Amino acid sequence: MTTRAEQAGAVELTGVSVTFPRRAAPVLRDVSLRLAPGEQVVVLGASGSGKSTVLHTITGVIPHTVHAEVTGQVTVAGTMTQETPVVERSRYLGVVAQDPSSAVCLPDVEQELALPLENHAVDPATIDAKITGVLEVVGAAHLRTRATAALSGGESQRVALAAALVTEPEVLLLDEPTSMLDPDGVAAVRGALTQAVARYRPAVVLVEHRLDEWAGADGTAALPSRAVVLDESGAVLADGPTGVVLRDHARRLHAAGCWLPLDAELRALTGADGGLTNPANVAYLQSLTDTEWVADEPQGEPLLVARGLAVTRDQSPRRRRGDPEPAPLLTGVDLTVRPGEIVAILGANGVGKSTLLLTLAGLLPPWAGTVDGPRPGLVFQNAEHQFVATTVRAEIAHGPLPGRAEEVVTRQLERHRLAHLADQNPFRLSGGEKRRLSLAAMLAHDRPVLLADEPTLGLDRRDAVATAETLRNVADSGGAVVLVSHDVRTVAALADRVVVLGDGYVLADGTPAEVLRDHAVLDRARLRLPALVSWLLTRQPQSLRTVLRRLDDAVRTASSDRNVPTTAGSGAQEQGVLR
Amino acid sequence: MSTRTGAPPTDSPLARRNPTVKLGLLIAVSLAAVLILDPVTPSVLYVLALVAVTATVRVPARDLVLAHVPFVLFATGVLVVNALARPGTVLWQAGPLRVTVEGLEIGGALAARTLLIGVLAIGFLLSTDGVALMTSLHHNARLGPRITYAILAGYRMLQEMPREWATIRFAHAVRADPRESGSAPRGPRHLAGVIFTLLVVSVRKGERMAQALESRGLGLEPRTTWRPVHVTRADWLMVVGVVAAVALVLLVSGMLGQLEGPGALFR
Repeated sequence: MTTRAEQAGAVELTGVSVTFPRRAAPVLRDVSLRLAPGEQVVVLGASGSGKSTVLHTITGVIPHTVHAEVTGQVTVAGTMTQETPVVERSRYLGVVAQDPSSAVCLPDVEQELALPLENHAVDPATIDAKITGVLEVVGAAHLRTRATAALSGGESQRVALAAALVTEPEVLLLDEPTSMLDPDGVAAVRGALTQAVARYRPAVVLVEHRLDEWAGADGTAALPSRAVVLDESGAVLADGPTGVVLRDHARRLHAAGCWLPLDAELRALTGADGGLTNPANVAYLQSLTDTEWVADEPQGEPLLVARGLAVTRDQSPRRRRGDPEPAPLLTGVDLTVRPGEIVAILGANGVGKSTLLLTLAGLLPPWAGTVDGPRPGLVFQNAEHQFVATTVRAEIAHGPLPGRAEEVVTRQLERHRLAHLADQNPFRLSGGEKRRLSLAAMLAHDRPVLLADEPTLGLDRRDAVATAETLRNVADSGGAVVLVSHDVRTVAALADRVVVLGDGYVLADGTPAEVLRDHAVLDRARLRLPALVSWLLTRQPQSLRTVLRRLDDAVRTASSDRNVPTTAGSGAQEQGVLR
Repeated sequence: MSTRTGAPPTDSPLARRNPTVKLGLLIAVSLAAVLILDPVTPSVLYVLALVAVTATVRVPARDLVLAHVPFVLFATGVLVVNALARPGTVLWQAGPLRVTVEGLEIGGALAARTLLIGVLAIGFLLSTDGVALMTSLHHNARLGPRITYAILAGYRMLQEMPREWATIRFAHAVRADPRESGSAPRGPRHLAGVIFTLLVVSVRKGERMAQALESRGLGLEPRTTWRPVHVTRADWLMVVGVVAAVALVLLVSGMLGQLEGPGALFR
């Protein structure tokens, strides 16, 4: 046994286990992690493997705010232990959390940034310069005098990052800071973070499941240099240089449903490094296309027809006389949806995608034009907004169901893998389970058209693939789907047709391969293509969808192969308490 | 009070005054008014206050009149109830209805008081930004940082609530009976469901915001203050002016034999 290290690390976890009340199995098992000052680490693992719990144990939220039994040693900045309350630890820690809408707490950006400095008793004479400095580093100098209510998600997260770093903490903790953002926002926050870490040099612990987007075109090299992998039981599976860890465990992480940088994903499938530069990987992708996928022309009577549609969110009837008529967000939308079709709507934030869905659903009256067809169903971006009941079973039974309610509920529970959760509270489910429930509850109503607003946002790869499959089943069984999404890869794999919105109207409408190859349209709509999608579009555009679907199938196959033994083993005792 | 999502209060002489000082004066004058029980004195004070508010707050007459409505309704009610119910010298009688002199006097005093406090409150609300008030209370009235920032964070949640309310209503409406065409269902059960969801979503958001505030060191001691809000000479001049005006009115009223205290109630 060594004695206490002379030079304390920025963060030290020694044999930490965390067990939540009323759960038999610990979330973290015997986790040890020592972070030197300035060192950067990414924590990887499947949903529910305890990644966020690691961060909460460092901040002290566990056990001080969220009750749990913690054993082992936690040391922050050499002096703080697990007895130290959250607010004392905040002297050494900066935190950026997942949800942009609760990341910024005060009405003004300036106040938001002054608050941590005031709390740390910084000399007021220096506060102004510090605010200017940190805003420049995160590329948000122009936001300084803005009201926080007017910030976009990406802007909020940059302000939150600035607020976390303005006190120059020893450790920066990032809890999926970009998972709720559109690609524009992800790029802005990532850029800001690189700048800020270079300037303030904190130690960094990053938890992020969209590693593919986080890494971007640079692949694994763009991730923090060290990676720690947690396995499904919450124990450390691997700890080392990120390149090595991803190489050794790519297959397992892939099967666990993690989003991986493209080079790691291909490595998991082929065993070959180097991503698209390696001929073995190229050959593999080409092999996925040997049976050509032929598009069926959609036939049958249209299920939903919009003509000359213009939409607006502002429905206020109490406008004062003399106020100008609010301008519509979008005009001239013509859309015909036929049985079997999946139509994806792409466009930048604020372009009116969600408003268009609400109007198509008959929930907002059109500003101009018409919507014809039986009333569609709609699932919302935040699944929680839909929940009305206190159990999963009651949630599905809500509303006038076609046929015998009991049969419908049982069928939906089975079909959407919710049977084991039937008596759980909907609000306590995991992200993927919430999405499944919102789909199960809406689809119970047998509406011919399903509208879906960002159905895969915030989900891990396995849940995103499962959600896409559910949507495809709707179309395959004679219905139709209209979805709004920022996730171009999912859209390219799923959609028969892509409609791009921008500048207040429809910029393009066609097959994914046609539309996504039009760079003028992509630029105007501020869309970025993932590396794999743009590679496929140049090399083999006709098989874009086939290849992406095969890659999704590979995730499903890999995870079901792995799941069989686990369910028989430790999984059984955890039934009903899985989060 | 003006919210940041709407327009901030228009700049005006009163809007530039320290919010805590304004609130203090509002409370002080209101307390003084509570002790006055003749109809003339508070009426004079009301007219003076109305002139002062019109002169120092840049607000359209229409808004000022509209803001008066609740106070006028309440004042009328108080006047009528007192005039009819208070015993004393009968002024007018028709069957069971009976108006007394004392009733009219006390009712008039209470009605005028209502309008006085009303117009002061209107002036305060129309000229004060909510955030500036909280900051000023923190700096000038020693309201603790935890309370101040908790209220400011709550205020930010409130800003987003209308949109969340609308979204949740839509989300619930979409599963209602599609044969009932038109707008969202409005029944009490539906409403209860929407409120329940909003509550759960808001509580969770509140928890996350509390964690964010704590992670930024809210609650650490000691702390410093950036850009403290000061009480200026102009604020003190306003205090002196208002107190002098009220004192003068009371003095003159007393000399003329108009001023009545709470004793008027028991005569």
